[in-house]
This record gives sequence, structure tokens and C-alpha cells, in this order.
Amino acid sequence: MLSIHARQVLAKAILPLLILLAVGLVLLGLVRRPAVDGVRLMATDFMAPAYHGLVWPQERVAVWLTDLRGATDLAKENSRLREENRALRHWYDVAVALAAENGRLKNSLHWIPQTVPQYVTGRVTRDDGGPYSRAVLLDVGSGHQVRIGDVALDAAGLLGRVTEVGPHTVRVLMINDDASRIPVTLASSHGDAIMAGDDTAAPRLIFYPQDHHPVEGERVETRGQSTMPAGLPVGTVHYSAPNRPVVVPDADLDRLDIVRVFDYGDDDSQAPDAPGRVRVKKLPQNPLTGPLPFSWLPNLPDMPGRGGQ
Amino acid sequence: MVAENSTPHLHSAVEPKQTFRRALDMSSRAAMPSLFIMFSAILLSAPFGIPGQAQLQFGIAMCTVWFWAHSRPRSMPALAVFLCGLVVEIFSFGPPGTVLLSLLVIYGVAHHWRYGLSRLGFLMGWLIFSIFAVLASFFQWSLVCLHAVALLSPAPGLFQAALTIGIYPSLTALFVWGRRTFANPDQA
Repeated sequence: MLSIHARQVLAKAILPLLILLAVGLVLLGLVRRPAVDGVRLMATDFMAPAYHGLVWPQERVAVWLTDLRGATDLAKENSRLREENRALRHWYDVAVALAAENGRLKNSLHWIPQTVPQYVTGRVTRDDGGPYSRAVLLDVGSGHQVRIGDVALDAAGLLGRVTEVGPHTVRVLMINDDASRIPVTLASSHGDAIMAGDDTAAPRLIFYPQDHHPVEGERVETRGQSTMPAGLPVGTVHYSAPNRPVVVPDADLDRLDIVRVFDYGDDDSQAPDAPGRVRVKKLPQNPLTGPLPFSWLPNLPDMPGRGGQ
Repeated sequence: MVAENSTPHLHSAVEPKQTFRRALDMSSRAAMPSLFIMFSAILLSAPFGIPGQAQLQFGIAMCTVWFWAHSRPRSMPALAVFLCGLVVEIFSFGPPGTVLLSLLVIYGVAHHWRYGLSRLGFLMGWLIFSIFAVLASFFQWSLVCLHAVALLSPAPGLFQAALTIGIYPSLTALFVWGRRTFANPDQA
């Protein structure tokens, strides 16, 4: 048993000791951030069933509200759906015709088919943003093959990229996070740009060609680079202010539920050597070695332009 | 006068018999503030989609530690603050250690000044707490900038500080009631 004096000393020393430990954790976070995030991912793995249980009532209420809203205006909803169905039928016919035409054209061009990407589908376990970041955690189950850099999409468009991988859970950094930079292509003006997240709902477009400004309403797609394939739908251009183009994402970044993570593999294709980059054989350093035929001349002083210098 | 003194009628010469059940009841009442922080940290990490969830995690922890550290320190020892801070750290994804360090610092301040704070009154206590909430948010913001190697917008940090300051009165009302009733170990 400790004496009263020892207990008083311990009581006074414990807070500075704990503060030192906290400072140690801050330093550990600065030096070995992945280790700390790994512990957090493990905790999320452990809590995943509880999270599903917690949000289940909320999801049920949302479904009931949607049903109730539909039931109150059934006739109007019915006519709207019939109209939408007619339009979709038309677009389906157009898509089938275009797919057939595309197939014929590719066939005649001897198009090399692209490999089908592997993907896993996961449910959003929790919104993992915090005040300064936009990220979500996905429960993708055990035995997954997800790697850092894989692409996450929802039903409508690009959502983000995988930044951390745990045993059951992966973390996806969303396109509107401040650290997100995605190379994109503008579909109509054919300009390239970088889509930079700024913690708002609509990421900014930067580094676009000054003679080809993005056009309001044009489609934005990914530009093929590294593990990111070309042509993934991202969103549409909108000018929130003069000379400030932003991308309105196709993906619903606020209400995420089911997300697919695609592995497009590494883009390890190497460009062939360009003609201008062919290595030129170096000329010998001293082309005029050996005795000159006119060695009878007296030694000349060193002058600029003489070989072998 | 220190606020941790319990109601006078409970300090009678005749004490209830110390049974295991009573000891359990007393310790659960004393642990109520810490359990409140841990429970709210875990609950607010679930994907409800409520705006400001992460900021609320920080705000609730700060308010709870501040109130109990100067109001009844026996219910909020330093080790409990450390454990609560660790739980909040695990269930959030901010820069590691910032919430824990902020909680310990605010605990140290409130515990050290508890005699003065009990004399100052609510408004003055709220003002001092507000200063520390802003400082803690600024500290968190600077570490995020250090992690990102960029100057990020301080708006989320200011929102966090404003939310923390804003929820303090309502949480204080809850804690004052709790101190007399369900979180009072003397009533076990």
C-alpha cells in the first residue's frame, strides 16, 4: 500500500505524464500516420455490425417516408413514371442501336478489347470525414483484393479513390476532399484539366487550357492515368462565379449507401522510344589523336575551338 | 465552497451499509460522465448523415470534461479523461492525438482553477471555456495543415469551435440535473 505522501506525488505527476503520452501520440501521428489509421480501421471493422444496427431504424423511416410520399400522390406519380418509362424505352432503343454500330465499327477497325476490371461492392459503414476531410469507410468483407489507388464509383459516377485498406474495411477519399486531385477531360471542348476538391459539394477545375475554357454544362470524364482509366463519368461543368468553373458531380456525395470499388490494374504500358530521344553515339573525345602528318610545325598555343579540350 | 460537496442532508452520521450492489451503483454513477463521452463518441461515428457529427464528437467531449473537472473532479479523474480521449481518437479520423491533448489540457485548466471557477458564475465560466475551445480548434487546424503541408481553410475549425461553445449551456443544464440525480454517487 502506498503512503499518503507517495499518493499525493503520484496524483500530481499523473496529469503531466498523460499529457506527455498525448504529445507522443501527436508525434506518432506525424511520423507514422498509417499505424494510427490502421488501429482506427480495426475499430471500425469491429463496430461495423453495430453501425448497421444503429442506422437501420433511420433507413427504415426513410423508406417509409418515401413510400408514404408516393402513396399520397399515387396518380401523379404513376403518370410521371409512365412518361419516364416511355422516354427510357426510347433511349434504350437508341443505346441498343449505338452499341450494335459501335461493335461493327470496332470490328472493322480491329479494335483491341480492354480487360474487364475486377470490382467489389460494399456498403458505407460510416462517414469518416471529420471537420477537415471528406472520406467514407466501406465494408467490403474479408478476402477482398482491393488495393490503394483503386477507383470507387456509385451508380451514377466517380466517387473517389481508395487510400487505406483494412482486413474488412477500406477508406475512400472522396473527390471533393481538399487533398483530392483527379486528372479529367472535358468532353466537348476536348481540354484537359485537374479537378481539385475544396471541401465543398462541387470540386473546382484548375489547370485548364487558357484558350479552351470549360463550357457550361459539358460532360467531365476521367483522363486515363496510372490506375485511373479514361472515360469514367465524373459530372458536368458549372460556373459558380465568373472564371470559376466547378464540377457538379454525378455521384450523390451526401447520401452514399452502396459503392463499387474497381481494380483497373496498373497502367504499366511503356511508350516506345520517340525518334527524337534515340540515344546518339558519342563522338570520341579526342578525334585527332596520334601524330599529325605535319608534325614539323612548331607547337601552337591553346586556342578556343580546338578539339580534345 | 467547492461544488463537489454533496447535499447536506446526505451527510448524516448514519451511512447506508456498504454492500457490493451499492458500491457498483456508486461507481456507475461516478463513471456516468466518462461513459457519456464514450457512448456519444461511438454513436456519432455511425453513418447517420447528420451535419456536424464529427464536430459534435469533439464538442461533447470538451464540454463534459470541462464541466465535471471543475464541478465534481471525483467523477472525472485524469485517467478517465485519457481513456475517453483515446476512445474519441479511435472513433474519429482527425490528426492523431489532438483531441486527447486538448481534453487533457482543458481538464488541467478546469481542475486547477476549480475554486476560482465555482466563484465566477456561469457566464464567466462559459467565456473562459470558449477561449479554450477556440484554442483547441486552432491547434487541431494547425496540425491538419501540417499533415497536409498546405494552408487549409480555417472555416471547419471555426464551425467546430462555435458548435462546442453553442452546445455548452444545454449540456450544462443536463449535467447540473445529472449531478443532483443519476450521476450523484451519494444517492446510491
